[in-house]
Amino acid sequence: MSMDQWQAALRDVTGITGVIGALLVSVDDGLVIVETAMEDLATADVAALSAALVNRAIRCTNAMAGPAPQTLYLVGERGALLAVAGRAPLWLVAVARSDAELGRLRLSMRDFADELQ
Amino acid sequence: MRVLEPWVADPLAEFLRESSARLALVMTSSGQVIAQHGFTRSLDVMSAAALGAGILATTGELAKILEAPNGFGAVVHQGERQGVWLAGFDTPRGRWIALVVFGHESSIGLVRLFFARFAEQISAAAPPLAPVRDVLAEGFERELDLSLRALFGSR
Repeated sequence: MSMDQWQAALRDVTGITGVIGALLVSVDDGLVIVETAMEDLATADVAALSAALVNRAIRCTNAMAGPAPQTLYLVGERGALLAVAGRAPLWLVAVARSDAELGRLRLSMRDFADELQ
Repeated sequence: MRVLEPWVADPLAEFLRESSARLALVMTSSGQVIAQHGFTRSLDVMSAAALGAGILATTGELAKILEAPNGFGAVVHQGERQGVWLAGFDTPRGRWIALVVFGHESSIGLVRLFFARFAEQISAAAPPLAPVRDVLAEGFERELDLSLRALFGSR
């Protein structure tokens, strides 16, 4: 996929009700590759912290001798963070409010991540 | 961790904890080492301080050539097993330089994120003093030597 196609796909994700940002993150370095987000979302911070979370999960599953994680779902009081694995080291990360259509978001991200493989 | 200025200890400890950095060196642009973590020999600190300041001075000149008015925020060297983050930041006590070495347990993004917080905390906590001096100023080596003696004892 080209950068424009990535951007378009991320716009589809952020078009889902309640989603305030979507970004493609390189979990090796915790940096944003492409992003579409509301202005007040600190996407660089989200990328760094979600990459750290993903790396911890990978180490955790390695320690359990299990398969690598494909999806991470972090739910807080006021929102959620959903991360889906693409082709290593890329992960698709979305930040959503608590009223977001999380089922639709998950399906949409899964489709996008498949295209990234 | 060793610090010359006690008020640097808490922000640096938090930065190290949050970023999982392996080594850290904080110094003034004139070569005085303010704090260090992870270095065991004063010679290593001396080399890292001189080389780090030199790299920042070089990139500063490069920024001038490229007409980047604010210079470059940071210089990152990413190796196979570890990376180096090198950045200058303004404090009420002049411009300081930080050199951070991080491994697989961290990332550029994490170091960038928590370094920004560290710089903010240092700025907030620093007692005002000292005029800004140029990187690799005349007394660089003497200042570096004095601070290393303070941090490590006689060499």
